[in-house]
Amino acid sequence: MKPAKVSTPSDQEVLIERSFDAAVDLVWQAYTEPALMRRWLAAMPGWSMPVCEMTTDVGGKYRWRWRDDENNVEFGFTGEMLEVALHSKIVHTQIYDPGDMGGTMGDDASVITVTFDEKDGITNVATLIKYASKADRDAAISTGMTDGMEMSYKQLDEVLNAEART
Amino acid sequence: MRRDVFQAIADPTRRAIIALIAMQAMTPNALAEHFDTSRQAVSKHLRILTECEVVKQEQKGREIYYSLEIAKMKEIDEWLEQYRKIWESRFEQLDMLLTELKQKEK
Repeated sequence: MKPAKVSTPSDQEVLIERSFDAAVDLVWQAYTEPALMRRWLAAMPGWSMPVCEMTTDVGGKYRWRWRDDENNVEFGFTGEMLEVALHSKIVHTQIYDPGDMGGTMGDDASVITVTFDEKDGITNVATLIKYASKADRDAAISTGMTDGMEMSYKQLDEVLNAEART
Repeated sequence: MRRDVFQAIADPTRRAIIALIAMQAMTPNALAEHFDTSRQAVSKHLRILTECEVVKQEQKGREIYYSLEIAKMKEIDEWLEQYRKIWESRFEQLDMLLTELKQKEK
């Protein structure tokens, strides 16, 4: 699949687009079932996801928390589901919980809209993150993204090996 | 007001101006011909772009030519590239997971 495309439709937004070689029901499962979410959201060396509570009920709360066992630090995200349309759309709020990691992504919740669109067995997923302000967006990038989640790209081999063993 | 490179690209007209002057330096009048908006509106966008430090001006005779500050534009690339890498690494995990799920379905 082509690498993710990232753009900034406005001052407050970031749009991430990516296609997956799978039917929408499978992609949906991977986005909504905690056991599966952990497999890709937490997949970074040395990190685990001790908390991965998810719901597809509108008004329901979700809670995700990552842990770096070696350095003994945690951080997470929480939020509320605003809109859920099976196999098509999830809208939820998101608040950064700095845990021991520190940093900030602003005090106000951002709103995340994930849309799923399947064509000929390929599912396009668009994730639009709307921060409460431009300052929040810039803070989110410089905080969580750079140090917090520098994580994963070396990780690919490890997962491939693990998959090969199963 | 403090301005930065992201305000430069937050507006569609400004993005179009950036695309035009990326090819060659242009005067405000020449730029205005490409848009339905007024010459004043184009000037305002040029002022904002100047404050964002993504364009530079050069006086040639009686005319002012605007051109793109390429190095400044690269800041956007670098910033977005970081963000993209993080997501892409996750998505690569997701690719593998989906492959596995598909095999199970069969």
